Amino acid sequence: MNRIKSFISQENWSPYVAGILLGIVGLLAVLLSNTLLGASGAFESFVGWIGKKVAPSLFSNLYWGVEGGRAMPIMRPEITWSVILLVGVLLGGTLGALSSRTFKFRFNDDAQWKRIFGPQPWKRWVIGFLGAIVLEFAAGIAGGCTSGLAISGGMLLVPAAFLFIGGMFASGIVTALIVYGRRY
Amino acid sequence: MTNYIIALFLGLGFGFALNKAGLTKYHKVANQFRFTDMTVLKFMMTALVVAMSGLYIFRGLGWITFPTVPATYIVGNLVGGLIFGVGMALTGY
Repeated sequence: MNRIKSFISQENWSPYVAGILLGIVGLLAVLLSNTLLGASGAFESFVGWIGKKVAPSLFSNLYWGVEGGRAMPIMRPEITWSVILLVGVLLGGTLGALSSRTFKFRFNDDAQWKRIFGPQPWKRWVIGFLGAIVLEFAAGIAGGCTSGLAISGGMLLVPAAFLFIGGMFASGIVTALIVYGRRY
Repeated sequence: MTNYIIALFLGLGFGFALNKAGLTKYHKVANQFRFTDMTVLKFMMTALVVAMSGLYIFRGLGWITFPTVPATYIVGNLVGGLIFGVGMALTGY
């Protein structure tokens, strides 16, 4: 029992062990709910759900569906299964940090980030915000993100997943080369 | 309703796994693209192999049918992936 406790309270597990846990979660999602895991779509559904209430005309389009229209929306503007999943992800991440007693509000404390971009928290926030827009936009085009397309699609051996992973690494490496320059 | 409770618990597992793999940290994700830290690939590929084997075994046993698979449209997936990589390497998300 103590060994289990001390294992859970470690800050970092071997990525293989954590990967096995995620694999089981992905498997259970199909077994119990016949759904695939995904993160990026949840943001779009949630925003659509709010948007439909705040500015219905602006959000009445092909993406979130037209009121009374016959076409299925690309993203259902509701609190979907994935939105609940995302709530769980936030709580699970918090739980993980609490279990290793590393839970703390951080604004910018990644040593490597500070070395590359500077120590000011606002830089982290601005780059984080803009980068996240890029991520969501790209996930919208590709039809999924790292979890929704690469992992969920990959476990069904869908070609799209491997195209996506290829593209992700190609441009990720180039971006890192540009950002890190001679320090790459 | 039950479905939502399942989603919440699966989310807990998902978030816990991400946290324990250290993928909530910028340098873990960014260093994958510099190939000085292979955590992202180890984590992703392990999850893939576990889920993949399980899914195909369960389908073989007739316990599940596969859900709708993500659509493959070569240009979209590839261009999306290319833009995605920029954001990922920049932010470490």
